[in-house]
Amino acid sequence: MSIHRTLAIAGKEFRHIFRDLRTFFLVTISPAFLLLTLSYIFALDVQQSELAVWDLDGSALSRQYVAVLTADGDFHIHQWVSSYDEMEQLLLNGTASGGVVIPAGFEAGLRAGQPVRVQAVVDGVDPISARQVVFNLGQRTAAFAVQSGTQPIVSAGGIELRSVVWYNPTLQSLISMVPGLMPIVLCMPALALALALAREKETGSFEGLIATPVRGPEYLVGKLIAYVSNGMVAVLLSWLMAVLYFRVPFRGSLSLFLLLGADYLLASMGFSLLIANFVRSQQTAMFLVLMVFFIPGFFVAGLITPVSSGGLGSKLVAYALPASHFITISRAVFLKGVGLVPLAVPTLALLGMGAVGLGGSLLMFRKRLG
Amino acid sequence: MALRVLNLVGKEIIQFARDRLLTAFLFLLPLLQLLLLAQATGQGITNLRVAVLDLDRSAVTRRLTAEMDNRDELVVRYFVRDEDELRTLIETGRADAGVIFPQGLAADLFDPARTAQVRMVVDGSNSLVGSVALSAVGAVLTDYGGERLSERGIVAQSPVELRVTTYYNPTYNTRVFSIPAQVGFITYQISLAVASLGLARERELGTLEQLIVAPLGRLELVLGKAIPALVIGAVNFLLMLAVTIHVFGVPLRGSFALLFGITLLFIVCEIGWGVLISALSRTQQQAILFVFILAMVDITFSGYLVPIQNLPLALQLIAQAVPMYHYLVVIRTVMVKGGTLAAVWPHALALLGLGAAILTISVRGVSRKLD
Repeated sequence: MSIHRTLAIAGKEFRHIFRDLRTFFLVTISPAFLLLTLSYIFALDVQQSELAVWDLDGSALSRQYVAVLTADGDFHIHQWVSSYDEMEQLLLNGTASGGVVIPAGFEAGLRAGQPVRVQAVVDGVDPISARQVVFNLGQRTAAFAVQSGTQPIVSAGGIELRSVVWYNPTLQSLISMVPGLMPIVLCMPALALALALAREKETGSFEGLIATPVRGPEYLVGKLIAYVSNGMVAVLLSWLMAVLYFRVPFRGSLSLFLLLGADYLLASMGFSLLIANFVRSQQTAMFLVLMVFFIPGFFVAGLITPVSSGGLGSKLVAYALPASHFITISRAVFLKGVGLVPLAVPTLALLGMGAVGLGGSLLMFRKRLG
Repeated sequence: MALRVLNLVGKEIIQFARDRLLTAFLFLLPLLQLLLLAQATGQGITNLRVAVLDLDRSAVTRRLTAEMDNRDELVVRYFVRDEDELRTLIETGRADAGVIFPQGLAADLFDPARTAQVRMVVDGSNSLVGSVALSAVGAVLTDYGGERLSERGIVAQSPVELRVTTYYNPTYNTRVFSIPAQVGFITYQISLAVASLGLARERELGTLEQLIVAPLGRLELVLGKAIPALVIGAVNFLLMLAVTIHVFGVPLRGSFALLFGITLLFIVCEIGWGVLISALSRTQQQAILFVFILAMVDITFSGYLVPIQNLPLALQLIAQAVPMYHYLVVIRTVMVKGGTLAAVWPHALALLGLGAAILTISVRGVSRKLD
C-alpha cells in the first residue's frame, strides 16, 4: 500500500467535495445546520392543552373552578361550548385535546357539602398527552377543592418522595435532545461516502480507476480519509452549535468527544463501505442508507423511546446501529461529563463496527478488482 | 400526449425492473421497517430500569419494590448495596433511576410524629425518560398512601369528583398513535426518494439530453417521472395499511376511500418536492442529501414528536406548509376517530393547495433548468 497513491485518491475526493459549493455544504455544513433546525423544535417545554368547557351551572363557583383549571398555564380554554356534539367536533378535528362538563347545581351542591361530579372527556389517541391531561385535570381539581375552602385539608399520612434529577435538573427537553440528535445529523458524511462510491460505479469512472496502479486498500482508505476529515469538521461545527448557540452544558472533555466522534464516523462509514459494495446505483445506496441510518436513528436508536422499552427484535437492531451507541456516548460526555472508562462498551462496539466494515469491504473489494 | 407520457412511464418501469435489488427494496424494506418501528415505539416509554437501594429491608419496602416492578413503566433491575454502586449504574447508563429506601422507613411510617421519606435519583439525560420515571414512582407512593388511609378508616374523598371518559382509544394503546404516523413517514420516504432522483440521474448519466431532443413537453417529462413514483408510493401505502389493520389491530373507523384519496394527494405533494429537488441538483448525490434534509425537517414539523400547538407562532406557520403535518392529522382522524371529510376538510384543502403550488413551482423549475 502506497501512502502517496492513498493521498492522491484523498486529494481527488477533497477536490470533488470542494468543487461544488452544494456538495461541500451537504457534507460538512449540513449537520450543524440540521441540528439548528431540529433542536429548535425542542426548545420549548410548555405543554399547554386546549380545553372545551361546557358550563351548565354558570355560577360564581363554576367560574372560579374554570379559573383554577387555567391558572398555571397547563390548560387554555379553546372554546366555551353548549352541547356534547359541539365538544365532540372539537375533539374529532383535534382542536381541543379534552373537554370539561360542569353540571347544573355545581355551586349549590358544594355549598350544601355534597360531592359533585365534573365530567372530563379526553382524546386518547396520543396516550402520553392524554395521561398528562388527565393527571393535570386531577391536580387542578384538587387545587380548586382546597382553594375554594370546600375541602378540609387531610394530612396525607403517606410517604413523601424526595427526588433529585441528575444532569438535567429541570428535565428540559432541549438539553437532552441536542446531544441526542448529534448522531442523526452526523450521518450525512457517511451517506455522502456511500453515494460517492456508488457514483463511480454508476457513471463508469470506476473502470478508469481499475486501469491505474491504485490498489483496493489505497482507494478505500483514500476515500475514507477525505470523508472522515470532512466529518470531523462537521462534528466540531455541531458541537459549537450545541454549546454556543443552544447553551447545552458540556461537562466532559472536548478531546474525548472528538475522539469518540471519529470513532462514530468510522463505524458509520464502515457501514457505508459495505453498502456501497453491494449496490450498483446511487438510488439503491440511498434506499439502504435511508433504511439503515435515518428513520431507525430517529425511532429505534433511543433518541426518544429508550432502547430497553422495545421488543427483542428492535433491541437487536438498535445494538447493531452505530447511532444508538453514539447517542449514549454523546449524552454521557455532554451531560454526565464521564471519561472513557464508563463508555468502554459503546466505544468498543463502534470500533468493532468500523473494523468489520472496513475489513469486510477490503476483502470483497480485492475480489472485484481481480 | 397521453401516449408519450405512457411511453416514458414504461421506460421508467423497465429501468426499475432491471435493478432487481432496488425493486426488492422498494417493496420489502418499507414493510420490514414498519414491523421494526412498531416493535420499537409500540409500547411507549416502558420498562425503565430501576436500581433499588433498600436500607430498611422491611415488609413495607418489599411491598413498594414489588409495586414498582408491577408498573409497565418500570422494571426493578438491580439491588445495590450502597450509593456509589447506584451512582455507577446511572453514570454508565445501565439504570435510568435509583430509589433509596432509608433506614427506619417503616418505623417512620407508623409513627405519626415523623414523616416517612423515600429518596429517588433520576437520570435526566433523556428528559422524557426522566419524567416518566418520576411520575411512575410518585404514583406508586400515592397509591400506597391512599391505601393506608382507607385502612385506617379515613376516606379522603374530594368534594369535586372528576369522572374521566376517554374517547377513541380508551385503553391508551400507544400503537394506535404511533403506527399510523409511521405509515405516513414510510410512504413519504419512498415516494420522495423515487421522485427526487429521476431527473438528476438522467443528467448525471448524460441521457437527459436525449430526453430533451425527444418530442416531449416539460409537463410530459415531469408526469412521466412522477407517475411511477405515485404508483410505488400508493402500492406501498396499501401494503402497510393492510399490515397496520390486520397485524397490529389498529382500527380503520373512517372511510377507506377518503383516506386513500387524501393519501394520493399527500404523495403528489411529496413528489412535487422530489421533482423540484431533482431539477435543482446537478448530481444524484446532491439530490439525495437534499432529500435527507427535507425529510428531517418534515419529521420535526410533523407534530409527531412535539405537538404543533405548543410551538411559537412562526414555527406553527412553517408547520402549516409541511404536508406531513396535515397528513398525520388526517390519517389519525380518519383511522382512529372515524372522522369524515367534514372533520378533515381544512387539512385536505391545505394538501390540495400545497400540492398545486409545489407542482407548479417544480414544473417551472424543470423548464428553466432544461432550457
